[in-house]
Amino acid sequence: MTDSAGPAPAAHRDWNSPAYAANVARRRRGERVLKALGLTSIAIALGFLALMLASLVATGYQAFTQTHVTIDVAIDPAMIEADDLAKSNWRGMMGDTIETMFPDADRATRREIGDLLSDGAQYRVRDAVLADPSLVGQTLTIKVPVSDPFDQLHKGLVDRATPEENRRVTDVQIAAYDKLVAEDRIGSPLNWGIVGNADSRFPELAGLKGALVGTFWLLLTCFAISFPVGIGVAIYLEEFAPKNRLSDFIEVNINNLAAVPSVVFGLLALAVFLNWFGLPRGAPFVGGLTLALMSLPTIIIATRAALKAVPPSIREAALGVGASKQQVIFHHVLPLAMPGVMTGTIIALAGAIGETAPLLLIGMNAFITAVPDGAFSAATTLPTQIFIWADSPERGFVSRTSAAILILLAVLVVMNALAIYLRNRFERRW
Amino acid sequence: MLDAKVLTERSVTADRIKMSARDVQVHYGAKHALKDVSVDILDRTVTAFIGPSGCGKSTFLRCLNRMNDTVDIARVEGDIKLDGEDIYAPAIDPVQLRARVGMVFQKPNPFPKSIYDNVAYGPKIHGLASTKADLDGLVETALKRAALWNEVKDRLADPGTGLSGGQQQRLCIARAIATGPEVLLMDEPCSSLDPIATAQIEELIDDLRANFSVVIVTHSMQQAARVSQRTAFFHLGILVEYGDTPAIFTNPKDPRTESYITGRIG
Repeated sequence: MTDSAGPAPAAHRDWNSPAYAANVARRRRGERVLKALGLTSIAIALGFLALMLASLVATGYQAFTQTHVTIDVAIDPAMIEADDLAKSNWRGMMGDTIETMFPDADRATRREIGDLLSDGAQYRVRDAVLADPSLVGQTLTIKVPVSDPFDQLHKGLVDRATPEENRRVTDVQIAAYDKLVAEDRIGSPLNWGIVGNADSRFPELAGLKGALVGTFWLLLTCFAISFPVGIGVAIYLEEFAPKNRLSDFIEVNINNLAAVPSVVFGLLALAVFLNWFGLPRGAPFVGGLTLALMSLPTIIIATRAALKAVPPSIREAALGVGASKQQVIFHHVLPLAMPGVMTGTIIALAGAIGETAPLLLIGMNAFITAVPDGAFSAATTLPTQIFIWADSPERGFVSRTSAAILILLAVLVVMNALAIYLRNRFERRW
Repeated sequence: MLDAKVLTERSVTADRIKMSARDVQVHYGAKHALKDVSVDILDRTVTAFIGPSGCGKSTFLRCLNRMNDTVDIARVEGDIKLDGEDIYAPAIDPVQLRARVGMVFQKPNPFPKSIYDNVAYGPKIHGLASTKADLDGLVETALKRAALWNEVKDRLADPGTGLSGGQQQRLCIARAIATGPEVLLMDEPCSSLDPIATAQIEELIDDLRANFSVVIVTHSMQQAARVSQRTAFFHLGILVEYGDTPAIFTNPKDPRTESYITGRIG
């Protein structure tokens, strides 16, 4: 059919007119500006990321090595308590060791030199002897950490030109250190202690094992609660709940919960889990419960979005062959939504792993030198451990704080990599 | 308005009626989508529903296996019987009904699973096969009836979504007939297929008539003329005319049917 009523086609247009050329130039300029703005914002974001990582690495890298000194300890049977090896006079043996190494020094000087060894040195010796009691009566050659000031000295963070009264190591100690260096007794191997030790007041002994184990139990609790509950709530709200005012009200509240400041959840946990239920203070289980409350809205919202994104044709196909609603959801819709559900869960857990404020309120920032043996013993987590270390006055904790942040970031990267792997696995089931 | 019921009963003998609908009304919220539809669907016959878009033919089709139940705002009134049994009676389980009245959709929608699992799903959830061998047999029969067996027998473990559009639609037909339905509803099954795949499906529909009662919604009048023995013409939610296909196409009683068939409306 010809359309005679419509407007007549415009007369031949001059596509080369200056006005049209200006139009083209304006459009191209707009595109160039948009592209440039995009690139600039990416550059700014990457720049700040690089700046943050660089500053963390610059301050933190030295915490990944720990200065050690090799000493020869005579395990003197006279100082050994045969009944209870652990209670032997280890401190005395360390004193003797210093005396052997510095025979010319007087008693006061020896004590000064003795500060070179970490307080933990005697426990290293103790543990070695406990593990192998046949060492009694022999000489044990062992590497022990030096105390923090000497670690700083070895890492070049102490300026020898500073007047003696203004630095933390005395001339006598520097002389002793130099002698040990000359004897090739000082070394700085990789500091496995930073992930292998629990917390300590002494930076050279402090490690993140307690915090890592605490974080593990906390995340496990958080996942075990928020994942099934979140998926359950999302399935109910998305698939079964009648659309009425009550379900609208619930939906609005879930969205609001996602925006509640985390410290409020901490207060809630303090009032309900600790004071009312009487759960143990500082336990990863309580922390996990608290963070599960925080993660739930994220998981619910992500799961609902993923369920909604499953094409209706799949639901119809399943209904069409006589699948019940529950079969449609569990055989078809949920498996197809799983990648989205996983993404949401990982985002929620990644948020939980970095959460500090609510954990401070339930006492997960206590000074704990034992590695937690389960979800119910008091523990710290990586962020609260960072918080504690950042607050500690010893110089050695400065680099350890940065190192701990780097380790936290590494854990996050590993988690995200795992998430992407899992997501791809689920997606590969076409 | 012409009385469809009178037309219907003229050429139908009661013993061959598979499904019968009387005075069916469908409301979507405030919209009265289907008005007073009465139709008898014959056994082992292909019945075509034709009409312009939005005329209610798909809506009516979805009443026959209670798929409209899954739409919150849909309300179905009237009387629809399968073998004399009211399918909207409280005692009827809609899930079981959908195994007896299978459905094939407009767009091929295989599950994102293997070809085998696609066909085996229905028998599995309804417990139709007790052993793996039984199930294998059901899958093979269904694929053979859907004229797909020879093309896929060596790759049953491949994803159903990897097949071509026409193959996917035949897979969906195999899936629908694997539960042993008595009636097969097809909602514009060829609308997303090329002419060759369409011809294959049409041939298949003709074969399926030997075992099933087939109801097909189609936009294509040529298709209705080719595959069906009975044709119902819907317009604006009303069943305008229903009768033997040759009669509808060569000698329509209602002026609206004639206008549609000759291309003046729709």
